[in-house]
Amino acid sequence: MSFFDTHLLNLVVFLPLVFAALVAMLPASENGQIRTVTLIAMVVDLVFGVWAYMAYVPGGPEFQLEYRARWFDLFGTSYHVGVDGLAVSLLLLTVFLGPLVVLASTTYIKFRIKEFHLALLVLQTTMLGALVSLDVLLFYIFFEAMLIPMYLLVGVWGAEDRQMAAVKFFLYTLAGSLLMLVAIIAVYFISAPVGARSFDYASIYNGLLSANQQLSACTTEGNCESLTGLAATLHTWGPWLFAAFAIAFAVKVPMWPLHTWLPDAHVQAPVAGSMILAGVTLKMGTFGFWRYAIPFFPVATQQARPFLATLAVIGIVYGALMCLAQRDIKKLIAYSSVSHLGYCMLGILAITAEGATGSAYQMLNHGVSTGALFLLFGFLYERRHSRLMADYGGIAKVMPVFTAAFVIITFSSIAVPGTNGFIGEFLVLLGTFKSDLGEAAGNAHLTAVFGAFATLGVILGAAYMLWMVQKVFFGGLTHRENQHLTDMNLREGLTVLPFIALVLVMGLQPQPFLDRLSPSTDRFLARARVGTPGAALEVDRLRVEVMSLPSPLVAAPSAPVPLAAAPAVPSPRQ
Amino acid sequence: MNLPNLSLADFLPLLPTIIMVVGASILLLSEVFLSATASRAYQAVLTVVTAVAAGATALSLMFEPPQEVMLGFGVLDPFSSFLTFVVCVGLALATLSSVSFLRKRGAERGEFYALMLFASAGMSLLAMSNELITLFVNVEVLSIATYALTSYLRRGTRPSEAGFKYFILGAFSSAVLLYGAALLYGATGTTHLTAMAGPLASAIAKQPGLVYAGIILVGAGFAFKVAAVPFHMWTPDVYEGAPTPVTALMSAGVKAAAFAAMVRVFFMVGKGVDPQMLLGLFSVLAFLTMVAGNLLAIPQRNVKRMLAYSSIAHAGYLLVGVAALFVTGPGEQFRLLGASALTGGTPLDIARSEALRGILYYLLAYTFSAVGAFSIISVLERREDEEKGTAWDLERFSGLAQRKPGWAFAMAAFMLSLGGIPPTIGFMSKLLIFQAAVDAGLIGLTIVGVLSSAAGVYYYLRVVVYMFMRPVPEGAQTLERSWSTELALVVSTLGVVVLGIIPGPVMAWLEQASSIFGQ
Repeated sequence: MSFFDTHLLNLVVFLPLVFAALVAMLPASENGQIRTVTLIAMVVDLVFGVWAYMAYVPGGPEFQLEYRARWFDLFGTSYHVGVDGLAVSLLLLTVFLGPLVVLASTTYIKFRIKEFHLALLVLQTTMLGALVSLDVLLFYIFFEAMLIPMYLLVGVWGAEDRQMAAVKFFLYTLAGSLLMLVAIIAVYFISAPVGARSFDYASIYNGLLSANQQLSACTTEGNCESLTGLAATLHTWGPWLFAAFAIAFAVKVPMWPLHTWLPDAHVQAPVAGSMILAGVTLKMGTFGFWRYAIPFFPVATQQARPFLATLAVIGIVYGALMCLAQRDIKKLIAYSSVSHLGYCMLGILAITAEGATGSAYQMLNHGVSTGALFLLFGFLYERRHSRLMADYGGIAKVMPVFTAAFVIITFSSIAVPGTNGFIGEFLVLLGTFKSDLGEAAGNAHLTAVFGAFATLGVILGAAYMLWMVQKVFFGGLTHRENQHLTDMNLREGLTVLPFIALVLVMGLQPQPFLDRLSPSTDRFLARARVGTPGAALEVDRLRVEVMSLPSPLVAAPSAPVPLAAAPAVPSPRQ
Repeated sequence: MNLPNLSLADFLPLLPTIIMVVGASILLLSEVFLSATASRAYQAVLTVVTAVAAGATALSLMFEPPQEVMLGFGVLDPFSSFLTFVVCVGLALATLSSVSFLRKRGAERGEFYALMLFASAGMSLLAMSNELITLFVNVEVLSIATYALTSYLRRGTRPSEAGFKYFILGAFSSAVLLYGAALLYGATGTTHLTAMAGPLASAIAKQPGLVYAGIILVGAGFAFKVAAVPFHMWTPDVYEGAPTPVTALMSAGVKAAAFAAMVRVFFMVGKGVDPQMLLGLFSVLAFLTMVAGNLLAIPQRNVKRMLAYSSIAHAGYLLVGVAALFVTGPGEQFRLLGASALTGGTPLDIARSEALRGILYYLLAYTFSAVGAFSIISVLERREDEEKGTAWDLERFSGLAQRKPGWAFAMAAFMLSLGGIPPTIGFMSKLLIFQAAVDAGLIGLTIVGVLSSAAGVYYYLRVVVYMFMRPVPEGAQTLERSWSTELALVVSTLGVVVLGIIPGPVMAWLEQASSIFGQ
């Protein structure tokens, strides 16, 4: 591993922050310079992000491009980053959206340009940081820090009710994740004995693993006599700890009924805010379930699966029904996110190969298609300053190119074959029908019920999207104001083009993307199945292997927590 | 009567205090020779230099082993030295922000800075006190200086009201503290804290009522000083009425010193009595203080008053750390608020160090954030609005991000830090406190703590909303800059942001400082 390889992720994560410092030094009146520097930052970050994506070897070790350095020793935390297949894919999505978000905002944002671009760059760093963190506390710090720039984006540059939406978004997410902080601290204490404690993902996962296996044997075979201390603790407290993690991530996803912040935040946010919210931040919720909540507590997951899957299905159908009732286009797209993220959750909870793969793919798809929908609607809003469908109609006559782009993205959103959405949703539905969700819920026939409702959501999804497209774009030009709308200009066209390209590439050539997801999917399934009955357990495959702290530093006399001495962290790997 | 034979070396542990007292004396004496119109710029500089010197000395003393000093009337341990350091940080920052504040009001006098130094010397000594009478004297040294500072701007009703209120309630609480100390002396026959543990155990068997009354009265006296609910009533009025830099010093230094003395007294007392009782006492206090402080702060539109309530809430989080000191070991935790066997596998001394560390780091974090926030308030307020009570209204912050982006950024950092949002020192310190509390098995208290801090974020964010999301009001006055306040802001912002991201030497100091005498 070269120096460049070990520092590649640091570069990707902190490059936007460095450029933010540069932007901060520019005079506030130099709008053109500020935009250009930000765009350059995002493009360079995209290049390095793609590089990282390419450098990830699907058949290699679980976490690649690792970097680890001492950090707050006293807290038991180190600066540890690395990516697995899902993280690197979401990282690609994040850096892909970066430059497009800047391009989308060049005319949309008209005041306080400098602060806006600063917020964008800082937000980019926090999102990327949360994706690559391999230390639970580091993840939490990025996860929370993400709220600050997003809060400013919504609250300063948003629509009329922006302040209410921003505060609601902030408090809702914060309240959810604070309980997770308590759970993280508790997990830190129980996962290892004194002296070996660490917030490192590997340390915590490996520390809980054998107890989880014992506990699984207890719940599935009734062999509860010989539970050791930690397994007994997990037996009592596991469901609560899982609940704390699950609530934090469920707010972020958002799962019904914790979704109420989302329509407000999405509707009020400026186009950049909506794109990033839908594109990346929501994925932090599903990613959190995938990486943390479910692997840490497989037994509690197994118990809560039917309940969570029910919420996911309710979310799918409820989101779709809410869409049918909307007159506000942006709110419709927002509710469609609730519905689509329901599929992601259902796919994760199905714990089948198809479901998990579909869910991971759907996370990427949703980022592309919903990001593009918000972007396109942003263009329309800039011209007409209305979010109501009734104010449009027959737009296709005056904006044909725009209409074509919107329809293609709509097809992706409603999963028409040939687009990326089809692959994701099809796999999720297949995974749901093949899953044992019904058995987990007590009746094998219930699996079909979950699947049937999820399928209903697909149909409703097509209905509300096409209905919206029809009302906005087709028919006669009913409003005189709309007669002079201009079609997309070159900049707008160039901003949309990458989305359309990705929709088609991911729809027709999914294999390169799936290749990188599949090692993650396999490991996720193996770890989630620790909690299911009769799973063949291969401990070696389950354990998280990561690099240890840099060796010359480990022996430093002042080290209060000798991380390397932890039995949970295996020897350095090169 | 034989005078004790003290050598010069015996005074070494008191060096930070001596530096501060000498500085104060120079200020007082030199003031005599100045004409009314003479430049007094040197006074603030001298105060800051004194504070820095005292702080640096305290840091170097931190690496001395814990020992009794001054014939056992005081102790020098890393805990007290770190606390002196925190006090000096607060003092230096508050002094910097008072320069332009006093100049605008034509009240720049050497006495002000001398009083600040005397108060800080009292705080430093209070943290070192190991004997009940010494402790009482030091409480009075710091209190009397603070009473005078509170009503320093004596023209106007608010400062006099605040000073009077503070004096009456402060004197009352000192009396309660003294009475409790007398009862403890009656029960044990000693006023030395180190010698108290043994006699306490036998006294509690003979006269439990006396001992418990003494403990509860001493606890109530301290609860007044740290503004714990239900002994918090004076805080909002006094904090609001006092000159803003003095409020800053009160919220940071006085609170820190009172906490240090409280920890020391109860740590020693805890060796003689059942720690379960102390755990219960402090758990209840912490619960009430966190919840009430945060809930009472929510409706405040006056930012200075809001920060007063927030300081109550922060006392609550600190009390969680104090409660965590009294865990007795795995399996026998006090079951109030759902303590259970989730955690608690940590050996007792490590768990105690964690709690002490949490308290100290929290005090440092709170000093940076609160003193910084009060500095911003001091530059925004105008003398003529004070009588109307609108000097500290949220409206003052409207559009600050457009008028003074640097100040708005600093204030946002302080607010987020007080709210405990990463990546600020406020988050790290809360994490350390809650880590100690979870390890002590105080899960219920921790959950109450994090949820009430989520409620706290609501009112901190409101300030950010006004600064960043409201337009600049019509006819807003131009804001004057002053180098000293800006320096204070830069230092505290750096403290809040950088220490939240880079561990730096503070972590090494903190690790050192978590040993208390007699542990």
